[in-house]
Amino acid sequence: MHLLFGFVLYLVVATVFTIANPSTSYAIPAFARQHKAECSTCHTIFPQLNEFGEAFLKNSYVYPGKPKAAKSAESVATTTAAPTVQDKKDEALWLSAIPEQIPVSFAASADLSYNADAEDKLDLATRSLRLHAGGAFRDKAGFFITYNLYTQGAYSPSTSNTPTNNRSDIDELFLVWRHAMGTPVNLKVGRFEPKLSLWKQSNKVTVTSFAPYAYTVGSSQFSLESTGDALEANAVLGSRLFVAGGIVDRDNQNTKEGYGHISYKFSGTDFLGNEPEISLEEESVWDYLTITTGAYTYFGRNESSADVGNFFYRAGADVDLLYKRLHLKFAGVHGRDNNPTFSSTSPDTRNSTVLAGEAEYMLGSPVNAISLFRYEYQDDGAGITRRYIPGIAYAPLQNTKVQLQYIYEDAPSTVNRTALLGLTFSL
Amino acid sequence: MKTLVTTAFIMLLTIATAHAGLKVVGRGDAMRLDPSAFPADMKASYEIMRVRCIKCHTMERTIIALTSGIAPISGQPFDRNATRAYGIKMMRKPDSNMNKQEVKTVVDLLNYLLVEAGK
Repeated sequence: MHLLFGFVLYLVVATVFTIANPSTSYAIPAFARQHKAECSTCHTIFPQLNEFGEAFLKNSYVYPGKPKAAKSAESVATTTAAPTVQDKKDEALWLSAIPEQIPVSFAASADLSYNADAEDKLDLATRSLRLHAGGAFRDKAGFFITYNLYTQGAYSPSTSNTPTNNRSDIDELFLVWRHAMGTPVNLKVGRFEPKLSLWKQSNKVTVTSFAPYAYTVGSSQFSLESTGDALEANAVLGSRLFVAGGIVDRDNQNTKEGYGHISYKFSGTDFLGNEPEISLEEESVWDYLTITTGAYTYFGRNESSADVGNFFYRAGADVDLLYKRLHLKFAGVHGRDNNPTFSSTSPDTRNSTVLAGEAEYMLGSPVNAISLFRYEYQDDGAGITRRYIPGIAYAPLQNTKVQLQYIYEDAPSTVNRTALLGLTFSL
Repeated sequence: MKTLVTTAFIMLLTIATAHAGLKVVGRGDAMRLDPSAFPADMKASYEIMRVRCIKCHTMERTIIALTSGIAPISGQPFDRNATRAYGIKMMRKPDSNMNKQEVKTVVDLLNYLLVEAGK
């Protein structure tokens, strides 16, 4: 018995030690495979982007500065040698603009939540399984797809032992024509998250989203981070100014929605992925300080029927500061909806103001943990909610992450206390 | 005889000189430069590089860049401008734990190694 216990204990300790102390960390989703680069090239803890990852995103998934983009390092390295059969195969793929590998990866999340006030206090559930595909067709076009293979649905003991699948759905599917007609302008078409805030919805280490981008008003399902079928033009001007504008089309609705974004990066790696000019002889606070600011606006109309609609707008601003291991994010948005309950008889106009700030501190070398604290103030026109959210994310491997988050929510009619433990891995 | 040939072959694989100007020891993740012929100050610099850089990536990546003149992931030329840019990039990474003096030391070493690799 003691022997068996000892053996089990050994296995547990060995497993924990192996996971917690990886000698070499490799992550393997689509971009990492294509460019033979580790996750930390573009991420702090995935999927949060670092400065280079942001440049890669803005460059429409073409590796910044890479000659004859999308050719692999091996292809480049063999250009001085005599052509081989493999080279000719690579060339055929390159001429056809077909990626050398099928650029597909998966991301899965399984969460544990505890809410003492809920009926199901401890909830263990597999939340989602997503398929991602992304890459570039040479340096002419970029593409990205997110397909929800599984998102947790309802549970019924008469039909299944586990929650059913909410229907599968295309969350993102778009193509970017890079540098159209030789200009700096990229044209993006398909279903995607309109460029509004500094950070894409997935660009975070926490389980929950930033309130300014996730909040909704009344019955309207619009949020700043929701995806839509859209056409967008964006461009990096110079190297530190980024502008974007576009229209969003709602199905069965003739009225289009419009938006615009502008952001400027005052220091740090520029939007093209170039490092700043820094003296290696003299110290300066700007050596490590990165400041990015952004502003945006969105005008829209969503309707429940042809004659019952909700005109709304949002206007907001963000600030992102990075100094060595400290990362600060601030966001604020003001909005107005003239009929968010889609009432045909008594429209209820609501103004909304939502603010949030988050302080993150990165730990480890390379970064394998981020501790954070977030504060959110949400006045959505129906009442004021404040949230205090401490959390920590830990990545024992670059493609595996555990997030622990506590949410103290002071809502108009109740106080909620929820602990969330999320496990996410990508392959 | 067969064993002798196999042993010799394995030795050739594991103790290889990747480029005429730089003496390289080992393969893959274990690849290292042999600093025995370096000047004393460069030996000290190499020790910083050996300890700091391989925390996040293999030395093989650096050696390929030095010997081929091309950075293996970006495919960009690896020259004196690149060594400085990479030095700044590494210094600014939140997790590199490298101060400016250490980065300058490693950049000087990389420039020295570029010259040696070209001989």
